[in-house]
Amino acid sequence: MMTSDLSSSPSSSGTEFADPNPSTDPETNSERVQSQLESMNLSEPSEVSDGSHTDYSGGDDDDENAGAVEVALSNGNEGGVSNGCVAGTSVEEEIEGGEASSRAEYPVEMEAGEEPPSPTSSGYDGERGSSGGATSTYKADDASEDEIREANVDGDTASQHEAAWLPGKRHVDEDDASISWRKRKKHFFILSNSGKPIYSRYGDEHKLAGFSATLQAIISFVENGGDRVNLVKAGKHQVVFLVKGPIYLVCISCTDETYEYLRGQLDLLYGQMILILTKSIDRCFEKNAKFDMTPLLGGTEAVFSSLVHSFSWNPATFLHAYTCLPLPFGSRQATGTVLQDVCASGVLFALVMCRHKVVSLAGAQKASLHPDDLLLLSNFVMSSESFRTSESFSPICLPRYNPQAFLHAYVHFFDDDTYVMLLTTRSDAFYHLKDCRIRIEAVLLKSNVLSSIQRSIAEGGMRVEDLPIDRLLRQKPNQGQAGHESPRDVSVGTGGPFGLWHFMYRSIYLDQYISSEFSPPVTSHRQQKSLYRAYQKLYASMHENGLGPHKTQYRRDENYTLLCWVTPDFELYAAFDPLADKAMAIKICNQVCQRVKDVENEVFLQGASPFSW
Amino acid sequence: MGCAASLPDRNSGALNGLSSSENAAPADAKNLRVKLVLLGDSGVGKSCIVLRFVRGQFDATSKVTVGASFLSQTIALQDSTTVKFEIWDTAGQERYSALAPLYYRGAGVAVIVYDITSPESFKKAQYWVKELQKHGSPDIVMVLVGNKADLHERREVPTEDGMELAEKNGMFFIETSAKTADNINQLFEEIGKRLPRPAPSS
Repeated sequence: MMTSDLSSSPSSSGTEFADPNPSTDPETNSERVQSQLESMNLSEPSEVSDGSHTDYSGGDDDDENAGAVEVALSNGNEGGVSNGCVAGTSVEEEIEGGEASSRAEYPVEMEAGEEPPSPTSSGYDGERGSSGGATSTYKADDASEDEIREANVDGDTASQHEAAWLPGKRHVDEDDASISWRKRKKHFFILSNSGKPIYSRYGDEHKLAGFSATLQAIISFVENGGDRVNLVKAGKHQVVFLVKGPIYLVCISCTDETYEYLRGQLDLLYGQMILILTKSIDRCFEKNAKFDMTPLLGGTEAVFSSLVHSFSWNPATFLHAYTCLPLPFGSRQATGTVLQDVCASGVLFALVMCRHKVVSLAGAQKASLHPDDLLLLSNFVMSSESFRTSESFSPICLPRYNPQAFLHAYVHFFDDDTYVMLLTTRSDAFYHLKDCRIRIEAVLLKSNVLSSIQRSIAEGGMRVEDLPIDRLLRQKPNQGQAGHESPRDVSVGTGGPFGLWHFMYRSIYLDQYISSEFSPPVTSHRQQKSLYRAYQKLYASMHENGLGPHKTQYRRDENYTLLCWVTPDFELYAAFDPLADKAMAIKICNQVCQRVKDVENEVFLQGASPFSW
Repeated sequence: MGCAASLPDRNSGALNGLSSSENAAPADAKNLRVKLVLLGDSGVGKSCIVLRFVRGQFDATSKVTVGASFLSQTIALQDSTTVKFEIWDTAGQERYSALAPLYYRGAGVAVIVYDITSPESFKKAQYWVKELQKHGSPDIVMVLVGNKADLHERREVPTEDGMELAEKNGMFFIETSAKTADNINQLFEEIGKRLPRPAPSS
């Protein structure tokens, strides 16, 4: 927590990303925006990526510890910021690993005492928009203290289990004048093309009107030049823009994630909004450019915050595939059969899910469910508490299926974890869907599926320790299944055989992936998050446009040895001890693939690829 | 209200919507069954009233209802008739208000709820009264409920205002507290008493 003197230099703040004009009207402030942009060097062509972003080098540098860089596009102190970070890297690493470790997705490496007492010293004096600048001084201080207390609480709980993460919006008392707000590592904004705030991850949307107007001005300034702004880099920060008709989405991040993934996150955020409202909200903006969308999203903060949280723990967000709960083949088949029957009776999609994992799913003929829709759907259901209270019937839109129209979703929880979702186009189908649920429930009970599900949750998924090793690779053959009890003379370090720490296997034609459970030494939430970020970079580098499909990649740094293998059938991502032997690692990867094929009937939903019904 | 345009036409079209599938077993004079819909602004405590009535529970942590929840509960009246309530607890959020016809169409009872500490929610209640008079079935039993009566020190909607609105529109009026369970059972018993009884011969 003592890092902010190393990483940020608030006293040197020069040009801040301040509200250029209290008005949110783009026309009236365009001149001032112009000067604002110039002062931020935004007009420099090299700073505005045209989409090819070949200058992006984030894939290789591994300085994840960006820590407390101000979330402000402060080009004026860019030098100061990066100097601070470079100097602070090693120290911060230790500190992050200790005190600040394992916090959930919203770490703020800052210390109230380190900050200038008033935000006015960082360039905000008198420049604030409509958000009541008079109160900001004491507010910022309050927020800082709150933050530190809360950060400690998070640190205690978040490492236990992802379930310890509580959904819901935090820090609503902040705005762009709050120091704590500006120090957050990753911001998400949704705004309208007239600059009206729609959603902000942190802080009160209404107080961020001035900030939103500035974002809007940047986008429209570049658009007026016949171009499109995709990415702005400012020191450690990336500002990623996504324009979806009248809706603008912006991410400001110093998390060192790839541009592609951040953009993918904005895409999902947009999809989540469409799931709640459908794309016909566009028409509201056609009728009234200054339409205020925030009331329409009332009560959905938890849905968005839970999605943002999933960007750091759910590989489905970057693999664009879904994962199944491991289950005996018979259990999944019994479930699938009754779901197919239900679909034959006029239901569009029928799914039985366990938390974010699929037990089984079926669709009407020619109806296909995109993995991203599945992700957004399960996020919506899991983060809306009311679904657990009683059976529900709710309008829902699947953005990849049909972004224009609502479907109607019947949702019922069988127990705390397992639920059924039945989607239909008919708004009067509730009683039919209720009958379908009763049929499904009867089958699940008769075939003991619900208890298999509970057993599977208790046992967890595949473990690297349990991988059976080819006898040829062993010096002393021992029984494969009892892996973690037996001595592993040939292994390096902890984890699985030969230093295998973790793997993810994505079946391309099934649109599904299986990921191993986290094993020592990748145990803390922070380590898991950092491994996922390494995978994301690997994924991005394997799927980069224009470089052609790579087949394998072997990469070693001080944290991991990463191996990626892409074939037309599957993609394998594996993380090893940094000291792992390359030849052995390759052999182990073959073993992993073999093992996945051996158990594919239990870990995948066969014959039900969302694209191939 | 911006979401109204986003509804597929069929939603507002001809549907006798969510009337019970079990129409096959008609109610007799001693065993009534009725579809009841709760309407009102978000956060007034519609779900809390239902959960207090159906499960005897109260959970202070607010759980925003999505779409509508369906619950049912049967009560016995003093004259030994039983009434099965099939309750649609609708979401109060603005984006769902265009969907309300889906839930109140065919309903025998509409319970319009406001929060006695929120004049805004009372305004919304007035909106729902008008909406139901325009689009609800003509013989619907309408009830006005001022919830959160336990917060009397923060009251901003006088009881008289509620009574006046109810009287003008021929509604039954009651103030309740889902938190203390005050008047919750009375509310549903009173509704049961007011339900039209089928003619004994049928």
